[in-house]
Amino acid sequence: MIGMTGVMLAEAGAVVTNWAIAAAAIGCGLIIIGAGFGIGWIGSKAVDAIARQPEAEGRIFTTMLIAAALIEGVTFFALAICFLVLFWLRG
Amino acid sequence: MLSGQLYAAILAEFNPLEPVGPAPVYTFSVGSWQVIISNHMFMVSVAMLFLMIVIPIAVKSKSMIPRGIGNLVESVCMFLREEMARPLLRDQTDKYIGFIWSMFFFVLTLNLLGMVPSEKIIYLLTGKVNRFGGPATADIYITGAMAVVAFFMTHISGVRRQGLWHYLVNLAPKVPWWIMPMIYFLEVVTMFVRPFTLAIRLFANIIAGHILLAILIGLIMVFKSYFVAGISIFSIVALSLLELLVAFIQAYIFAFLSTLYISFAVSSEH
Repeated sequence: MIGMTGVMLAEAGAVVTNWAIAAAAIGCGLIIIGAGFGIGWIGSKAVDAIARQPEAEGRIFTTMLIAAALIEGVTFFALAICFLVLFWLRG
Repeated sequence: MLSGQLYAAILAEFNPLEPVGPAPVYTFSVGSWQVIISNHMFMVSVAMLFLMIVIPIAVKSKSMIPRGIGNLVESVCMFLREEMARPLLRDQTDKYIGFIWSMFFFVLTLNLLGMVPSEKIIYLLTGKVNRFGGPATADIYITGAMAVVAFFMTHISGVRRQGLWHYLVNLAPKVPWWIMPMIYFLEVVTMFVRPFTLAIRLFANIIAGHILLAILIGLIMVFKSYFVAGISIFSIVALSLLELLVAFIQAYIFAFLSTLYISFAVSSEH
């Protein structure tokens, strides 16, 4: 079941060359740079906010987790596209 | 008698996608169709039975001070209701809190049951090669089904609260008339993208963790040395603890976003 996407795309004539695998790997690196910047920014702002007002730590921590999980959702969606090329596009 | 190759193939494998993908447990045919029961469906049934048995037993005590596992369940439910749902849903919390509690505990149980290496335990105990347990939320169809349930819950609750015509009219905020078609189109697209992102977020987080664990275990097969096995097992322990944290966070995020979408649908503020 996990290879159905790959089989469908392979029957449509997709060919995975070495350049495609290299591009997918470089794409993974770029995605992680973006996610690292975003979640690091959120963490830094959350720590600043807790330092300003230590009694709001619970709400700020929860909000930080929610924002980090939303960014991770988008990251994994892009990573799934990379996985598509790396793992599943085999004939 | 099992050969050495097959012995290693259950505990550690070359292909990292093998332990996380679905595998057939039981196949029966209805007419001319083959109905395959996969191990992910089996884990969903195990989670359902676990929750249906454990939670009523946990909250059954009628004393004012809860003890033991009832205390755990009750404090989690109180946190979800008071800190997460009440600021969003305000006076309609009690109508939708059953759904929110069910989603949270179901996703949490599926994630945590996926961290238990049940097929390896069964293999080490009985010596039978099997694929019984697996990370059930690592299946896009299962998380997609839960996201579809959340989708229908938001829209049906919105239609029941505001009526069909008012719900469709109030989808978009009040903007000047010349920009209204584009804003309305964007809102409709957002409505359909939301369950998609709910499913993909949960699926990708869990399956990324499991693929990483499978790759690290498979490294032992590649190098075949004790030193690499030591490093690998140490990092697998650390990563499994991180995966437990991710299981809790992803269950909370799923419940929180479902609550947020329901609050958008039933709030009469636009």
